[in-house]
Amino acid sequence: MDYFLHTLVVCVIYSTFAVSLNLELGFTGLYNFGHVAFFGIGAYTSALLSLAGFPAAVSLFLGMAAAGAAGALLAVPALRLTGDYFGIATLAFGEMIRLFFLNERWLTKGPMGLPGIPRPFGIHGGVSGLPFYLLLSVVLGVGVFLLAYRITRSPFGRALKVVREDEYVAQALGKNVLSLKVRIVAVGSLLAGLAGALYGHYITYISPSDFTLNETILVLLCVVLGGRGTQWGPVLGAFLVIFFQEFLRFLPIPVDFGRVVAPIQGMVYGAVLILLMLKRPEGILPEYRV
Amino acid sequence: MSTYYAQLLLNGVIAGSVYALFAVGLTMVYGIFRFINFAHGELIAWGAYLTLLFSQFLPFSIAVLPALGLTMILGISQDRYVYSPLRRRSRITLLIASIGLSYLLRNALRLVWGSDLQTYGFEAVRGLSFGALNITRTQLAMVVAALLFLGFLYGLLKFTMLGKGLRAAADNMELAEIMGIDMKRVGTTVWTLSALFAGVGGVLIGLDTNLEPMMGLTNLIKSFAAVLLGGAGNVWGALLGGLFIGVAENLGVAFLSPGYKDAVSFALIVLLLLFRPAGIFGITGGVR
Amino acid sequence: MAVCDVSLELGNTPVTGLVGPNGSGKTTLFHMITGFYPLDKGRIRFGGEEISGRAPHEISRMGMVRTFQHTRVLPFLSTRENLLSAVPKQRGERLTSLFIRPGAVKEEEKQNRFRAEEILDMIHLAPLAEELSGRLSYGQQKLLELGRVLMARPKMILLDEPTAGINPTLIRRLVEILKELTRRGVQVFLIEHNMPLVAEICDRVFVMDSGNLIFSGSPGDAIKDAGVIEAYLGRENYAP
Repeated sequence: MDYFLHTLVVCVIYSTFAVSLNLELGFTGLYNFGHVAFFGIGAYTSALLSLAGFPAAVSLFLGMAAAGAAGALLAVPALRLTGDYFGIATLAFGEMIRLFFLNERWLTKGPMGLPGIPRPFGIHGGVSGLPFYLLLSVVLGVGVFLLAYRITRSPFGRALKVVREDEYVAQALGKNVLSLKVRIVAVGSLLAGLAGALYGHYITYISPSDFTLNETILVLLCVVLGGRGTQWGPVLGAFLVIFFQEFLRFLPIPVDFGRVVAPIQGMVYGAVLILLMLKRPEGILPEYRV
Repeated sequence: MSTYYAQLLLNGVIAGSVYALFAVGLTMVYGIFRFINFAHGELIAWGAYLTLLFSQFLPFSIAVLPALGLTMILGISQDRYVYSPLRRRSRITLLIASIGLSYLLRNALRLVWGSDLQTYGFEAVRGLSFGALNITRTQLAMVVAALLFLGFLYGLLKFTMLGKGLRAAADNMELAEIMGIDMKRVGTTVWTLSALFAGVGGVLIGLDTNLEPMMGLTNLIKSFAAVLLGGAGNVWGALLGGLFIGVAENLGVAFLSPGYKDAVSFALIVLLLLFRPAGIFGITGGVR
Repeated sequence: MAVCDVSLELGNTPVTGLVGPNGSGKTTLFHMITGFYPLDKGRIRFGGEEISGRAPHEISRMGMVRTFQHTRVLPFLSTRENLLSAVPKQRGERLTSLFIRPGAVKEEEKQNRFRAEEILDMIHLAPLAEELSGRLSYGQQKLLELGRVLMARPKMILLDEPTAGINPTLIRRLVEILKELTRRGVQVFLIEHNMPLVAEICDRVFVMDSGNLIFSGSPGDAIKDAGVIEAYLGRENYAP
């Protein structure tokens, strides 16, 4: 039962992360492959502030803000790039941030990471705190979901889709494409930062190896599998992927084979991405009725 | 003091000649097919690791042959099973498939060989000295091999019908097809060459450093920086770009903490994309 | 050079045509006027204001709206959504307004929908309002593009070959809509190859050839001008 609750918490956190990526990737067509950087910035900022004694609400909020600010800062120059190039630039940016976490030991303790991150709002650590943390995650997760819902089912969301489909037409229709993109990246980064902060406070120990390209691919899989450009797609994708992941951990695998689980998992994810693109690129929940 | 920098410069040129091989392979694919093959890095890694495998029971210089052969097959398979079927789809679809493929191949590598560092196990041999500059035999071999392969490519592109077909196709694919150039053959050639260069480069890099599963990704980013520098699709630009990256990285060690060495290429990419996306010698597009 | 030394003034002319053989630089000129291509030299003025060097979306918001040579509807949006997305300064496109003033956003959206209905009727696409615009026929897409332009409440519209490839019935419809527009005070500037149409609806015509402006005057005079005739017949292309 506890393990089930744990899986749910991770699902909710990753749903939030996936929803934030979907705003950029699914609705606006921005291939942000460095999205994990903002997850990480949110996690580290919130963790550092909490460890320094700030109350949880402040740490969470500032974690979000830091991630959002970083997103806006990156966005303004980077969004002049087209598709592929934006993808590579954000990928490079994500790796740079990871290297920053790794090398700036005075701040982040480098590869040792930050242990002992306090649970927020007096929630207990360990198993006893699980239901309460789940509640917290769900509350925040639902909030994020509703925010994304409001944004995407509005003229703003419509404008994003126009930008995604045809930037020249968007400009001809009077949409300030750069401004729209910067705004959605700021929002997406902010929400990713919240997810990251939630993550850090949950597992109570973070290190740079938690925020690598692997995590970007994982969240990309969630969005792409569940259905890009839909409200529920990223949530569905996150639940499927995380349940699969945790299920694998749960299987009684003989110790000798323990080391093969991770690579096989990775191969499955890679294969799923390829097969999805070949057979059903829109994902499980399609955006338009075809 | 200046010999310190001269040595760094030399190291940079040596590393750069191998990066040039990677970059040339990547840019050739871009030139014809107009997308960045994320899985190019894994061709580098697989070339290196397969050589390791075969060198267990073959002399090293022989082991390289089947390893490279398999790498080339891997490159062609990438196209046949993943990229070709997706040719007509949107860019994002290709991009995601390419990321998925790279993830698949990287994890397959980890599955077979594990996450620990591996080496080819050559003993450290006393190197050669030219004045105050040192170069190991391995490094010398790297440069020579790189030059040989690049020279071979030059000859191919300039003097053979196949090479001319490649250049025509890179310039204008539809027109080339109408002119009767066999696009299937061009495609296969490009993937073979790309994989060959990646594999060779991987072996060469492996001679100088350790093998580890992330080597594909790290070198992909460097290749990409080099490709960008020279202008995507521009083979000679990629070559120069590779050299530049090698030198920049090694000279950078004098100023940055070694942990940030890889970041040099990242930072270059970000800077280039922001200020000169067309590269130093490149061309741009626009609205029709 | 695609366009070289072109100087033209539209003044208050209701409908102006821009004609010339293929490759004469007409579309390029449109791109330059609407901000999609940069100007190497020269200035552009609209409504008394200088617009050269401004971003395309700014120029569009100032009231100069254009279509493209090949239809560019947004295929995965419905016909109605295509129209709704064409209103330039929507309150609902501001993030803050979405959350602070939801009522105002809703109200404006309602008004926009109302106008969209009117325009759907005007372009005869009301029964296809919910259809994905990618499924419409070529001619219907052209009408949709025109409808989009109308939603933007333009002061002036630039149409790039609006009748290319569509059947005579639809051409008639298009002409009706254009006439209605000029009645409402919207200026029309259009690129066309359909000479009889140009003669019918244009008050004035500019002729371009190889990037230069070679004639300015009434359509009737254009057909008789020696330079114009040579431009068309001196090449492989003939005017239709």
